[in-house]
Amino acid sequence: MATGLVITLAACSPGGNDGGETSGQDLSILIGSSGQAETDAVTQAAEAWAEETGNTVEVIAANDLVQQLGQGFSGNNPPDLFYMPWDQFQTYAGQGFLEPYADDLANADEFLPALREQFTYDDQFYCAPKDFSTLALQIDTAAWEAAGLTDADVPTDWDGLAQVAAQLTTDDTTGLVLGREYARIGVFMGQAGGGVGDADEVTADSPENAEALEYLQGLVEAGNLAYPQDVEAGWAGEAFGLGRGAMTIEGPWINGAMANDYPDREFISVELPEGPGGPSTFAFSNCWGIPAESDTRDAAIDLVEYFTSDEQQLAFAEAFGVIPSTESGSSAYAEQFPENAAFVAGVEYAQSPVAFAGAATAVTEFNASLETQGLADPAAVLGPFQENLQAAADKANG
Amino acid sequence: MTGTASGSRRGGGIRRGEARAGWLFVTPAVAIVGVFLAIPILLALWVSFSDWNGFRSPLNPNVNFVGLDNYAAITTDTGLDQRNFGRAVRNNLWYVVFVVPLQTIVALLLAVQVNRAVLRGRGFFRTAFYFPSVTSTVAIVVVFQFLFTASGAVNAVLGFFGINGPNWFNDPSGVFHNILAAVGVTSAPAALAESGPLGVTWWEWLAGPSVAMSSLIILAIFTTSGTFMLLFLAGLQNIGAEVDEAARMDGAGPVRTFFSVTLPMLRPTLFTVLTLGLIGSWQVFDQIYVLGGSTAGGTITTPAFLAYQTSFDDLKWGQGAAIAFILFVFIILLTLFQRWVLRERDPKGMGRGGRRAGRGGAADPRRHEPDAASAAVGADPADRALLTGADAREDGDAGPRDGSRS
Amino acid sequence: MTDLSTRSVVTGDGGRDAASARPTRRRRISPKARAGLWTSYLILIGLALIYIYPFILSIAASFKTDADATQNPLSLVPETVTFAAYERLFTGVPFTLWFGNSVLVAVVVTLGRVFFDSLAGYALSRLKFRGRSMVFVFFIGVLAVPGVVLLIPRFLILQQVGLYDTYAGMIIPLLSTAAGVFIMKQFFDSIPVSIEEAARIDGAGQFRTFWSVVLPMARPALVTLIILSFQGSWNELGHFIVSRQSPELNTLTTGVASLVSGQLGSGNQFPLQLAAAVLMTIPVAVLFFIFQRRIMNTTAGAEKG
Repeated sequence: MATGLVITLAACSPGGNDGGETSGQDLSILIGSSGQAETDAVTQAAEAWAEETGNTVEVIAANDLVQQLGQGFSGNNPPDLFYMPWDQFQTYAGQGFLEPYADDLANADEFLPALREQFTYDDQFYCAPKDFSTLALQIDTAAWEAAGLTDADVPTDWDGLAQVAAQLTTDDTTGLVLGREYARIGVFMGQAGGGVGDADEVTADSPENAEALEYLQGLVEAGNLAYPQDVEAGWAGEAFGLGRGAMTIEGPWINGAMANDYPDREFISVELPEGPGGPSTFAFSNCWGIPAESDTRDAAIDLVEYFTSDEQQLAFAEAFGVIPSTESGSSAYAEQFPENAAFVAGVEYAQSPVAFAGAATAVTEFNASLETQGLADPAAVLGPFQENLQAAADKANG
Repeated sequence: MTGTASGSRRGGGIRRGEARAGWLFVTPAVAIVGVFLAIPILLALWVSFSDWNGFRSPLNPNVNFVGLDNYAAITTDTGLDQRNFGRAVRNNLWYVVFVVPLQTIVALLLAVQVNRAVLRGRGFFRTAFYFPSVTSTVAIVVVFQFLFTASGAVNAVLGFFGINGPNWFNDPSGVFHNILAAVGVTSAPAALAESGPLGVTWWEWLAGPSVAMSSLIILAIFTTSGTFMLLFLAGLQNIGAEVDEAARMDGAGPVRTFFSVTLPMLRPTLFTVLTLGLIGSWQVFDQIYVLGGSTAGGTITTPAFLAYQTSFDDLKWGQGAAIAFILFVFIILLTLFQRWVLRERDPKGMGRGGRRAGRGGAADPRRHEPDAASAAVGADPADRALLTGADAREDGDAGPRDGSRS
Repeated sequence: MTDLSTRSVVTGDGGRDAASARPTRRRRISPKARAGLWTSYLILIGLALIYIYPFILSIAASFKTDADATQNPLSLVPETVTFAAYERLFTGVPFTLWFGNSVLVAVVVTLGRVFFDSLAGYALSRLKFRGRSMVFVFFIGVLAVPGVVLLIPRFLILQQVGLYDTYAGMIIPLLSTAAGVFIMKQFFDSIPVSIEEAARIDGAGQFRTFWSVVLPMARPALVTLIILSFQGSWNELGHFIVSRQSPELNTLTTGVASLVSGQLGSGNQFPLQLAAAVLMTIPVAVLFFIFQRRIMNTTAGAEKG
């Protein structure tokens, strides 16, 4: 299919400087990698494509994706293809940084509708969803058994979670280790029946959200919930890998990270427990961004098609755990990786984290306030969050 | 100083050749400094008045002039941008309040001890104290992160004394808040809960440096005290042992001698050290960058880092440039103040004049332009160091120059 | 654009010698003074330990395993000595590339500064030309500009002139500094004019006089400038953050910073980070100690005399 497309595209673009060449190009690809597993997999795939099509590629794993992207654009030298993080997409699209190419893709109609929507700005489908992930609950099976717990104890609601977290907590291990950020804590808001809303209606200071924070604060005070910083880990996955947390809440990338860094850690992923408002999780997706008016546009599009083919997406899934972004791909994934069924199941009730233009800054501020003030007084962190989001929303709505 | 005024010694032809050579010689330096320092500042000034979002050139026709909007966003308009700026100022202010006096005291202590007349191993001690100053900030931050992790060396040492050390670089709590919490005050009194300057509540303004910032304060003292120690050593040398001994003959104890004789005579050096410290402490960037900037709940972010982050990460280039310019003007004012004071001092013979006289080196040919030299205490840390170096050299005549001549 | 501490080798030179110029007195020491002296020693030794121990500890920890470094943070002796961190630095991390870039940049910048700054300093000190005072005032003004606010402006100009993300963009802006010009000017002000006058009468051109007569005399000031420039550009971080983005152009400072904050640093890989810190410190340390010995010699000489 890819080769067919090369011909089509080559035929409709007369070449020259309008980005029409699909071979002989030199592409730089900037990715925000979850670890060596992801970097290696993307590099291999890109090189395979390059060899097949007569291009050259360089895959760069960013230290700080957003900063490096910003510097690239401002320096007039953006990468030819890059991970566009979900929380920055609207900002970048709104600033006119992105090429709205996704409708030109041969597989444009195969993406999951929710993802297609996530990367649509001003009614234009900008960029192809790279893959997607949902959050699930990871349980360290050794710690689980050591605490005398069985399959029947897998928590399905908040009370159950609190109970097993207490049972799993020992001198060296905290029952649950969770990233202290909106992107994790936000799922509890959803489970409480809340959420922060969108640009049309911001609902960050709702009583449901306060209830969610109170619940978590209860776990913290009981000593059964800790943040990675508290246990000297860079992120929750590391704490989990090091055995400092018996449970964590992460996405499918946890598989690749564990396989690489902590191959001895045995664990399972289960669906997140329901809250008083029902089940909820987050769905995250990056898209493959192409800079506006790029010289290498067509070659980059060709590569995106290669990357987002079901076959390649399943290969990525195997390497670092993400779920394919196409309908057929994701169902194939569920069959192929039953141990990741929890992540796929989450699609049913997943929410998209808040992502309208300017929301990212408000989220950063919220994360900082979680760090400085903790959850003890939900109103103290949710109030400003509401204010800041509302201000961003007003600006985004123009 | 101009060619026409002083050229009478030589003929016109030579003078013309000299003028050509003069310009030829200064052109590369002027061009480099002009193109990469003066012009960029003008360009950034434009950006701070524009709505450039970081796409294409800031000079492209789609970029609009927005007046003072960017400045207003961080100073007068209520909102997140204002509060972030306010917090950065708060963070840096506490940093300055602690670093400047502490590094000066430590440097003075080191200098006085190293300067003891009958002390052996002076060279070794000087080297030991000065070494942290020559290593890269990046390396020092790596070392400090290792020392100050929750289970690191510092907390292990504190553990010997039964103290349960904090999680230094990750602890965003203000030290004053912590002290208050220890006596049971955990929330703001009503009067302080209201919003203070720059959208930050008075309670937050008064939080003190966060524990994370305190680690950076310790880092700063560790790395700068050696440099300032050398300045004090030079100052002490000028006072000379005689004065000290004379004072002691009069029966004054060492402590009293220090406070009533030595310290007043060190006043010019003390002033230099304090102002250099003041100027330098408002420019903290490297440490914050290496640590990731917005960690510890944003309590280590400084205006210098915020300017960078606002531009490069958030793509609000105008605002970033505006922050940089506010900082720029502020530091320039500090520098001008310093130059002004040093200038005032000279004629009275309190500063260099005094030192020069003490050495009996009135005929020193280097002193063509004493004003320029004292005025040349730049704001760039690198430049400052250079010039303080140049300063110090005047005091230590037995230096490499003389050595190499002999 | 670091804090001032990291930049000031020259002060080392200048401060040298507070002690040296003072005639040493070996008089009888009273018991009271002796007690004072011992107190001084105790204080100094205590302080010296605080200043040196972190470095020794870091070197020791770079030879430990990750777990050993985390669990025994205070011990100077690794449980088992391992070179794993160093191996990883040269195999898993492009450390050699970073090192090479740092050497390249520091060497070119140092040579450039020595040449351009001494040329300009000489002209400002000796040559009479119209506009000289203007140029002088320009440099004085520039001295007051704080380096850290130049990050955004430097990036903008490099982007405008198309030097962004190139070696040229990393090097050229650092090739001359107002402070360097001043040091050289001050130095030339201090040496007698007569020798050059003689050369001039010989009919040597301005540049030849400068190059073969004046510059050799300026060796002490040049040494100062070389050390400062090398150390300054070796330790520079800010400019290399904003003048490049390609990983191939990482210097030691930006590279090691990425080890700490980025993907590679996501674990507590203290030995790896410390090994990098140790290696990046060596060149500057060597320079410092060579220089320091020079100082010690003059100091010792003065004391004996």
